[in-house]
Amino acid sequence: MSEIHERLQQIARSVFYDDSLVLTESTKAADVAGWDSLAHVNFMYGVENEFGVQFSEAEFLGFEDVGGLERLLEEKLAQG
Amino acid sequence: MRESTTKSKESASTTAVLDAAGRAECEGHVERALELYVEAAASVELPPADLCLKIARCHDRLASYDQAFEWLARVVDVSDSFLHWSAAAAALGRLTMRARPPARTSCRVAVTGSYTTSQLASMLPLAGLRLGVDLSVHEGLYAQYQQDLIDPSSALYASDPKLILIAVHEGALQLPSFSETPEAEVARELRRWTELWERASSHAGAGVVQHTFALRPDAPLGHLSGGVPGSRYAMTEALNRELHRAAGESVAIVDCDRLAADFGRLRWFDDRYWFRSKQAVALEAVPMLARHTAAVMAARLGLARKCLVLDLDNTLWGGVVGEDGLEGIALGGEGAGEAFVAFQEYILELKERGVILAVASKNNEADAREVFERHPEMRLRLDDISVFEVNWEDKPASLRRIAETLGIGVDALVLADDNPAERQLVRRLLPEVDVIALPQEPAGYRRALSQYLGFESVAITAEDRSRSVQYRARAAAAELRSSAADIESFYRDLRMQAIVAPFDELRLPRIAQLVGKTNQFNLTTRRHGIAELRSFMTSDSHVTRHLELSDRLANHGLVAVLIGTVEDGVVDIDTFLMSCRVIGRTVEARMLAHLGAEAEQLGCHTLQGTYVPTAKNQIVSDLYERLGFRQIDADGDGVTRWEYDLRVRPIVNDFIEELRA
Repeated sequence: MSEIHERLQQIARSVFYDDSLVLTESTKAADVAGWDSLAHVNFMYGVENEFGVQFSEAEFLGFEDVGGLERLLEEKLAQG
Repeated sequence: MRESTTKSKESASTTAVLDAAGRAECEGHVERALELYVEAAASVELPPADLCLKIARCHDRLASYDQAFEWLARVVDVSDSFLHWSAAAAALGRLTMRARPPARTSCRVAVTGSYTTSQLASMLPLAGLRLGVDLSVHEGLYAQYQQDLIDPSSALYASDPKLILIAVHEGALQLPSFSETPEAEVARELRRWTELWERASSHAGAGVVQHTFALRPDAPLGHLSGGVPGSRYAMTEALNRELHRAAGESVAIVDCDRLAADFGRLRWFDDRYWFRSKQAVALEAVPMLARHTAAVMAARLGLARKCLVLDLDNTLWGGVVGEDGLEGIALGGEGAGEAFVAFQEYILELKERGVILAVASKNNEADAREVFERHPEMRLRLDDISVFEVNWEDKPASLRRIAETLGIGVDALVLADDNPAERQLVRRLLPEVDVIALPQEPAGYRRALSQYLGFESVAITAEDRSRSVQYRARAAAAELRSSAADIESFYRDLRMQAIVAPFDELRLPRIAQLVGKTNQFNLTTRRHGIAELRSFMTSDSHVTRHLELSDRLANHGLVAVLIGTVEDGVVDIDTFLMSCRVIGRTVEARMLAHLGAEAEQLGCHTLQGTYVPTAKNQIVSDLYERLGFRQIDADGDGVTRWEYDLRVRPIVNDFIEELRA
């Protein structure tokens, strides 16, 4: 499991208060109980803070699944 | 050098313990995991938020709910991070479906706003939990504050709130970007908000809480903004000022503009999240906003702390007076000595606004007194300290005695102490006492105290300002009492005098304050709002009385309130309460003697009264019996009804002379 993946999972566990929550690359918002639009804002805010990045409007909603978000983060972190 | 080696060794072993705990938890050995987590937590005074959350979760799983609540509350003290608060708030939400937290009081709150308030609404109960208030929150629909407050049949009102929070932002203001007639514009906007308050007040028993409007950092006029009255910036400033002024007693203000400035306006206004999801307050600032809002609510519910208890060595001055001597302690001058002076000056300002000061210190009393009496740089004087507990007993014992001497609950005390071990001891043995963790550096003492929110209060009244004097007199009276030959001569020695008179407009704020916060000496604990109190004042079928007490030591001000309904030759006591600072003075008998005489004047020969038990008012459960009333009714909930026949004999009180108003 990549480090990015692990940190994302930790954030998701906090936001959804579910310590048994396991994210896979193909997990979509619809697969997680309570991942509604408000929770998405909270989650993405947590991700921005944790990784020190900022998402554009398109990126904020644009990824398909957790794998997509991980690739997005890798790109952003590589750009520094 | 040695210190840093020890530290890294410690944290390495803590990491190992945490790893073992994590494995145990994954394998389902929750009890073992909990043991290990608690072991890791024991190595620091304030365990980090992540660890508190883990321990809370284990307790939740093991159904030890009270401890789960306690560990969640700790998150509030150690973190301001949005993620920690989100997790703790979510955990609390789940927990409260299974159990209610142990709390000093509970309250239904309705939140209505002009932006996405869901995060605030979910964090309020967490902030409340830390202050001992069990808040259940109803959140209105997005940006519906006008509809919620104007429509009497709104879901907001249907939720039967005790408090209504109006959480609004600058964008909700109906002010133009520039006006030629700014005063009229501000007055019109003020009227809009005060009208909303009036509607809300009639539905919220304990009142309305209003957020002020944080000024936007985007000011097109730049540095001219404040000087151009017609600018939106200047109008918003003016409106905030007017809102403070108009709030009076029935509305509590949370000064968001100050919070935004403290937090940093450029960060408070996070436009990306405004455009994205209508967050008018940056999510990172929401924990702070929740914390302050809950503190103002707690004050409104009568939970403000009353007394600051101070340690001496390394708290009020640097060094140990018993070892370093009067000349050797650090106080005044520059550096740390100056920081101690600044701390003392801030403490004096708290005293000015009504916080009682006490000292609890392990020291030789003579050494300690000498510093107060002789050190030229001391700002605090013995006169400022209501109770001086300097001895070699443990802190919890001293704290208990301070509460006893002042006649207040232990849960009205706050301890400021530099010594982590003492603080831990008090947290463990007297959890009701709030403890301020002073930082290592004295330079940080004043800030630690100023950011402590337990002294938030509803209003500053003249009584508050003289409260310290009264409590000191009370402490003196307590000493007198132990030396007086018997209780009757004690009462006579005090030479007490009272004025008993109907409510009037001038005293209504203080009366409302007492009705709103008195817990112990309160027969029915009916929290009438100021509007209701005013209606009793002018009604023919009600008798209203307040009592002002003075004695040779102090003027205690307005300390007792009574409301009776008059019907069919009977005066039925709806409300009868007294400030705890005059308990044990026979004030209750003076009040009822007065009421008895008044009743006869009205042609009533019977007094009736009710006792409604609460968690706090055990002290008056037998009050009517003691005053010679006869029990006429009782129900299963412990509510008792009492009657007094004035024709058999009048009620008398020989100890308090009644003066004509």
